[in-house]
Amino acid sequence: MSSPPVQDLAWLKTIPPSSALVWATGSVQARVSQELQFGMAPSFDDIPGAVCTLIAVGGGSLMDQAKYIRARQRPGLRLVLVPSIWGSGAEASPVVVLNREGGKEIASGSEFLPDTVIYWPGLLATVSPARARRACGDTWAHALEAFLSPLAGDQLRGQLAILIGEMLRLPLGNDPRWFSLSARACAFQAQASVGLVHGIAHVLEHPCRARHPEQEWGHARLCSAFLLPVMRLNRLASPKWSALARQYAIDEPAVWDVLQRLFEPEACSAAFPLLQVNWTKVLRDPCTRTNGALIRSRHLDEIERLVAA
Amino acid sequence: MAAATLITNIEKLKDLLVDVFLIDPKEFHLDLKREQIDTWDSLGIVSLAVGVQETFGYHFTQDEAIAITGIRDIIAALEARGISFDE
Repeated sequence: MSSPPVQDLAWLKTIPPSSALVWATGSVQARVSQELQFGMAPSFDDIPGAVCTLIAVGGGSLMDQAKYIRARQRPGLRLVLVPSIWGSGAEASPVVVLNREGGKEIASGSEFLPDTVIYWPGLLATVSPARARRACGDTWAHALEAFLSPLAGDQLRGQLAILIGEMLRLPLGNDPRWFSLSARACAFQAQASVGLVHGIAHVLEHPCRARHPEQEWGHARLCSAFLLPVMRLNRLASPKWSALARQYAIDEPAVWDVLQRLFEPEACSAAFPLLQVNWTKVLRDPCTRTNGALIRSRHLDEIERLVAA
Repeated sequence: MAAATLITNIEKLKDLLVDVFLIDPKEFHLDLKREQIDTWDSLGIVSLAVGVQETFGYHFTQDEAIAITGIRDIIAALEARGISFDE
């Protein structure tokens, strides 16, 4: 399965305005309207039959919705994805994660890949430092969990080790170079699956938002916040991480330093009571079940200790 | 001095399978078959292989893991590798 071609903003502007509509997340709509000559579609249901290109601009959820609905309802529609921030890598992945009542639904297939991807660094102007750091954490979670996954083979681990080396050279913050690294991390994790960090994020995203509506809970924040305690748990539960890090010449102390900087103890503490309530669901989540080390029911106590530490 | 508790390999396996397949310990018995456990699916096979390696130090090959149809098959495969399950 090959990656979708990447174009620039100038290419997007060559599309006739009457043949395309934009579906954009609220935070970037003004910027998109200012720069592009296309009309706005309030939702997928409002796309007239004459429109042959949909340009979806937003985060992972919006891009996954666009991928899914296009594949199911309008397979002939050309889909252009423009991520408003890196992290999800949804623009490069054949996987879709959909919000459903009671949890997340995951589907995968080449029909979900977009036709074209555009990286537009200008959209990052309004991204806060905290959001940028969490998007880096999301990318790190994809890369590390895919690297440790029991489904990853030698060749994929080699590619992930190179990617991790490149990620270590980038600052944790607002930098458009994260777009391509995030897309690669996501494409790799689509081949190997992920682990407990994603199991926690998928199960807790909705309850955290419901319990703490005043806080910015999302997939990236949960991934970023729980990555350090989960990696520590992996290290305690199995020698696999350290052995693989040595085998693939990964700078392990540098990775731990990154994880320490991504860690948000107050977020983990706020989410932990919900983790306790939902622990069985987390254990049953497909991502948890492909964690690098086997996650056992008693590990909840270990995570509590590691969060507090 | 407290007496050391010796955990038998059967107990280790039970503890492992209860966690891998998320089954009630009270419902665990050695004659359980794959079709009786809803979580013994393709992901369950992956988790089982990871758990057996962590617990017994033996890595099931893909063919071995897929060929296993019940708990007694797991025991037989491990006994063939010199891991004893005698009480």
